[in-house]
Amino acid sequence: MYKLLLCLRYLRTRYLAFICIVSVMLGVATLIVVNAVMSGFSTKLKDRLHGVLSDMVVDTDRTNGFEVVREARRPLTPEEAKQNPAVPGARRAYSLGTRVTPHAREDYYVDGDEHVTVRTLTPDGIIHEITTGPAGQYVEAITPTIDTFAVLQYRDRGAVVAKPVRLVGVEPIGRTNVGGFAEYLVRQKGAPNPSFELTPEALQRHEWNLMQHRHEHGADAPPPPKLPVADPLAPPAPDMKLDVGIERPKLTGAILGYGLAHVRYKDANGQLLEEQVLRPGDNVVLTTAGGDDLKPVWGTFLVTDYLKTEMSEYDSSFVYVPLDQLQRIRGMAGRATSFQLKLKNYDRDKEAVAKELRKVFPTREVMIRTWEDLQGPLLSAIDVERSILNILLFMIVGVAGFSILAIFTMIVSEKYRDIGIMKSLGASSWGVMQIFVGYGLLLGTVGAGLGTALGLWITHNINAIEAFISRQTGTAVFPRDIYYFKEIPTNVDPLTVILVTAGAVLIAVLFSLLPAWRAARLHPVRALRFE
Amino acid sequence: MLEAANLTKAYRRHAVQVPVLNGLDLEVRTGEFLSVVGASGSGKSTLLHLLGTLDEPDSGTVKLDGRRIDNLPARERDALRNRTFGYIFQFYHLLPELNVVDNVLMPAYIGHSTLNWWKGRGQWRKRAHELLDRVGLSHRLTHRPRELSGGEMQRTAIARALLMNPRVLLADEPTGNLDAASGGEIVKLLRDINRDEGVTIVMVTHNLEIVHATDRVVRMVNGVVTDDTPGAPKQLPFQPLMLAAV
Repeated sequence: MYKLLLCLRYLRTRYLAFICIVSVMLGVATLIVVNAVMSGFSTKLKDRLHGVLSDMVVDTDRTNGFEVVREARRPLTPEEAKQNPAVPGARRAYSLGTRVTPHAREDYYVDGDEHVTVRTLTPDGIIHEITTGPAGQYVEAITPTIDTFAVLQYRDRGAVVAKPVRLVGVEPIGRTNVGGFAEYLVRQKGAPNPSFELTPEALQRHEWNLMQHRHEHGADAPPPPKLPVADPLAPPAPDMKLDVGIERPKLTGAILGYGLAHVRYKDANGQLLEEQVLRPGDNVVLTTAGGDDLKPVWGTFLVTDYLKTEMSEYDSSFVYVPLDQLQRIRGMAGRATSFQLKLKNYDRDKEAVAKELRKVFPTREVMIRTWEDLQGPLLSAIDVERSILNILLFMIVGVAGFSILAIFTMIVSEKYRDIGIMKSLGASSWGVMQIFVGYGLLLGTVGAGLGTALGLWITHNINAIEAFISRQTGTAVFPRDIYYFKEIPTNVDPLTVILVTAGAVLIAVLFSLLPAWRAARLHPVRALRFE
Repeated sequence: MLEAANLTKAYRRHAVQVPVLNGLDLEVRTGEFLSVVGASGSGKSTLLHLLGTLDEPDSGTVKLDGRRIDNLPARERDALRNRTFGYIFQFYHLLPELNVVDNVLMPAYIGHSTLNWWKGRGQWRKRAHELLDRVGLSHRLTHRPRELSGGEMQRTAIARALLMNPRVLLADEPTGNLDAASGGEIVKLLRDINRDEGVTIVMVTHNLEIVHATDRVVRMVNGVVTDDTPGAPKQLPFQPLMLAAV
């Protein structure tokens, strides 16, 4: 009883105790805020990185995309052997014809005494093989894509602007089912069936652009190119005449990264400004390489929407176009360079799926990677940075612990006589030790509790605090143009808060042990005589 | 009741052994008010500490009712100090963070677990109030020690020493830090406690004026008892003695 009473009284009346509490409080608050911000950045980055990448990617570095060939051999039946007689002195070799199905092109021929079936799988065939195989049970959605490099060209105030981009051909609904697509679109945000269709406003702007072009270059001037490809199945020639002698094709939309269509810059006052340089309906030309000999090919698209992930790396590089259009431009009809997979339970199944897919695609040119593999170095860097920061910051609490040690030593020295009094009244050494350990526990608990409350409050109001500091100092504490984040992201992990709080209390108790032990060992007579 | 036999005790100061008690023998009888006098350094306070198990002798024995107590385990000696002995110090030794009532209740706080204290808290508070009423401090219950005079602090210390109904009060220069009038009141209070409640009191003092209020006076010189004489009879009026002390 006396231990609790004295702990509480010491807490209320000791100025030094207040310093201890403040030390622990600041340490805990700092740890919680930094952890919340780091975790917020990490979580948001991971969400974004994961978002556009899908759970798992099966891709190839072959420019013409996947070529999955399945060969089946069986002995010729007597009837087949009779129909395809062997030429004396030569090996028997006959082509038996070709059949095209939705899943494959099947070539049949006779090779020696065997009947051979060669199935070259289409993307649908590959998808069918994945989904009907052992990996299929884990897969929720799958879609083919073409992922390649390109140069984006457009006119800005009469001048041609060119930017390197990452060109992705997608089936918009299939890509949406895989996740990380529709939720980042600006106009069609969250739409279940997004498309590359142009809105009436975009078409109107396109017509206005055409009129403007004719006005500037005369009525005879050719209009800007629409779609370039005459023969959709052949690689385009780089010098082909666009829009000449062919039926005017359907206008095709493209979804541009938000950062490509919007330029951010600072004015003379350092104020961050944003200007839209590509509006829905504006022309863009995408030039990439296609065909077996990789000649330059290009296509004209009209901006229809923007992709805004708030990740500058993506927003300033990704351009989405319809898969079939990109296949035509690159001359790779019916092919894809990658398959995006969404798993039913990513964390549980990723390794099993990778293992099963490796059986389906045993060759080295096919790469099977999770989104974490693709972003491995960045994710590792984030985790390493967070761990190191945590170690450094926990040293703050360690410093608070040493201040507790110093202050407790002073308090025990001040309390020598009280310790003697308590012992003369029958208090045991263990009881005296408990007073000071309990005091440490109480200081740690109060300090950690206040620190937790302060840390959570700062975390909750961090953007208001940042704005206030930025206003006062005239310097942006959090430059938004780097991350395209509207505000500082935070993520309070309850487990981290509990660990930090418990760790601080533990440190307070540990650092109070030595002074408490010294107090307990104090001889009552010497304590009573202490001046 | 309390018996010290052949007690020796030496302190070590800067690598030098300083003998304090040199084979001291003393018997304290039940219910008597014994005063121990002597010059500074004669070993009076050390004797009191050894009798009350606050310290251990280098040799010799201390017995309470024939049972040796100087070599008891720490836990039993803690219990003796809590329930059998009551201490009164020259400098009062109140806990500055606690008010008067809590200071008086401290032995009960120490001697009981939280649960037991909670069960009997009403009785203990009543007892503390009675004791404070008896020592004339019922108007100072919630005051802190720094708000009390020296005499009031010593009376608080006496109430604290009496809380657990001890059999022996050990008073170390209880008037040493008080003026004569306050000291007289304290000695009168101790005398009354001894007479009314039969509590055995051993009082160390170097003030020869107040020893007349005690039953017996022993004089210590160089760590041994040199004189053992009866003091003033209990029935003597006390006031004239104190006036003489002034």
